[in-house]
Amino acid sequence: MAQAEYSPSEEVDFVVVGSGAAGGIVARELSMAGFSVVVLEQGPYLQLSDVTYDEWAVNENEETVWGPKKGHPQTFRRYEHETAQLMDNAPLSYSHNVGGSSYHFSGNFWRFRPIDFMERSILGEIPGTNFADWPISYDELEPYYTKVDWDIGLSGLQGPWDPPRSRDYPLPPMPVKSSGVLLERAAKKLGWTAYPEPHAILSQTYNGRAGCIHCGFCLGYGCEVGAKSSTSTAMMPQALESGNCELRTMSTVARVETSANGRISGVVYWDEAGVLHSQKAKATVLCANGAETPRLLFLSESNRFPDGLANGSGMVGKNLMFNGSTSTAGMFEHPINAYKSVPTTRVIHDFYSIDSSYGFYGGGGIDERHLSNGLPMSFAMRGSRFTGASWGSDFKNQLEREFTHSCSFNGHSTNLPLSSNNVTLDPVVRDMWGRPALRTTFMNHPDDIATMQFFVDRSEELMEAVGATNITSRFAKDGQTGGSHLLGTCRMGDDPDSSVVDRYNRAHEVPNLFMVDGSSLVTGGRGQPTMTIMALAFRAADHMIQAARRGEI
Amino acid sequence: MSESTISRRAFLRAISDSAQHSLVVLSLPSMMLAARQAQAAQNSARSLATLNTDEATELEAIAARILPSDGSPGAREAGVVYFMDNVLGAEREEVLPAIRKGLSDLQAIANARFGNSMVNALSADQLDTLLREIEESSFFATVRYLTIAGMFASPEHGGNQDEIGWRLIGFEDNHAWARPYGYYDAEYMEQGE
Repeated sequence: MAQAEYSPSEEVDFVVVGSGAAGGIVARELSMAGFSVVVLEQGPYLQLSDVTYDEWAVNENEETVWGPKKGHPQTFRRYEHETAQLMDNAPLSYSHNVGGSSYHFSGNFWRFRPIDFMERSILGEIPGTNFADWPISYDELEPYYTKVDWDIGLSGLQGPWDPPRSRDYPLPPMPVKSSGVLLERAAKKLGWTAYPEPHAILSQTYNGRAGCIHCGFCLGYGCEVGAKSSTSTAMMPQALESGNCELRTMSTVARVETSANGRISGVVYWDEAGVLHSQKAKATVLCANGAETPRLLFLSESNRFPDGLANGSGMVGKNLMFNGSTSTAGMFEHPINAYKSVPTTRVIHDFYSIDSSYGFYGGGGIDERHLSNGLPMSFAMRGSRFTGASWGSDFKNQLEREFTHSCSFNGHSTNLPLSSNNVTLDPVVRDMWGRPALRTTFMNHPDDIATMQFFVDRSEELMEAVGATNITSRFAKDGQTGGSHLLGTCRMGDDPDSSVVDRYNRAHEVPNLFMVDGSSLVTGGRGQPTMTIMALAFRAADHMIQAARRGEI
Repeated sequence: MSESTISRRAFLRAISDSAQHSLVVLSLPSMMLAARQAQAAQNSARSLATLNTDEATELEAIAARILPSDGSPGAREAGVVYFMDNVLGAEREEVLPAIRKGLSDLQAIANARFGNSMVNALSADQLDTLLREIEESSFFATVRYLTIAGMFASPEHGGNQDEIGWRLIGFEDNHAWARPYGYYDAEYMEQGE
């Protein structure tokens, strides 16, 4: 069936803003349930034939992650008393296209674990932070994690390391790489467990999609064969085939419109030519990501909502979390060629929750990677990781060996939610549409830094255990300056005074407005949040469908 | 073409065989000679669109110290200067004025220090000395950036000719792989760990 076509003056059931990890799922679920849906996406719908391996275009010229070169400047500051500075790149980094960042992610799909949803109750208050329990439990989300496994397409191995699951993975795990073998051997020596990384990438043909060809260009790039379980590949085609969904690409939402009765009447958006249109809808679902959803709420202020739409709690934009990350590199005697196949094939979760006797809050996992995601130009740009040489014969000689004979063990870890870490509107800088630019204010809690140091220490032990030489580590000791996991900025909760959306992703203050994306997360997990964003999207859509059928939307 | 005693095709075959099959079909000095000759033959057919000949010669001389042709082909053989010429007229046109200013400043220092205002006429040691002095400058950072991009970006942008940069570091432009990927997973498959 061809995609639906609706007139902008026609009131559809749902307008969905953003077609990423969450938006693609929400659009598919709602439209397949028979509701009329319009999806507005600010970027293009890239097809398999559009996939490029051009590092100059993608990594240096904002092909998919738009920033200042494409008319989308962003500003950054550490603390709220400072003036934010215009940055060369986008501190809040995401892919602008159908599928959003699921188009260019590497699909490391860790479920959250039961502890993530109730950690505040177990550990108690962490002073100065907004550390809190989720309003839902792991058990409530588990059926939707399983739906992600089977509907999106995951590859993995069920085992004792897993959180409880009701059904096995649909596909076996991706084959282990040399770097994964090294991590597994190291873990064995130290008495830890390295198990196969779960991936939102098909290891075999599934649901009419091809299996992975191990090209190595996952992170930052589209998938040439459609094996990556992006919503652009796994969800949006089904939404469009339902005959109930219209996708409007190159459409940038300017405002969410509040009517006199306090309900949302729809949205106003620019098409590619800059012409403003409005789309009326019975309900509006913002799936624009943890940066753009709060920005849109701020831009949609009104007399009724002077501090931003649905922001009576004052929590819109706050509690920004990225996940911590560290890298510990080592050289090895033989070729590793970590630039081939998926970025990582083994993960250690023995330190999912770091023992409280260490004196700080945190946890995470350790996986194995190429030093530059397998990208030759990015690799050379940074200079030798081991000697620091950045030009001349020494530099060139190092590059010849390092690209193929090294790998890194990477920590992925917690960020605590803080009011002082947030997304707001920049008072000076504007984007190509004349909208205030995204302004990031961010400085890690000391426990985030201590946790990253912890993972560096464990990673160095692992490197030593497996005989690496030239071991060297790096992480943001002085605080992170951005990220691609954009979490926490419209947090979910039962209390309208301390959260933005309820346990079903509905705005506390507006009955026909939903926010479904990384912004809903109460805590950021241990490093890989997209599985949880997708599970929440399936769950939120399920409840929207039930509520709509009861006439409650 | 006057210097060329080996066809470009023969050169490519030589490089390709040695890189892919570890067959050293030419000794290293003769490979270097072949590389230079092939590059000279190829470059003579290419024209500049943004830089003038002097600017290109000077920038190439600097690029050749950042990624020298010392035992294996470097920035010169990869045609990095053609990448520079391309992007300085397109995606990086905004840095062209700073490149020109930085180059003329460097030439002034070269003239004062060595009595020669063309940096490509300096010895490698003399040029390295100057470059170390300006290592922290934005001019050097930009030339380094463009050199590395020209060496390792996709050849479609004008540099990395014949994938010389990728071959240097062992990146194979294939985009479809099967196990084994490296030494340790081959061992793992054999031993069944």
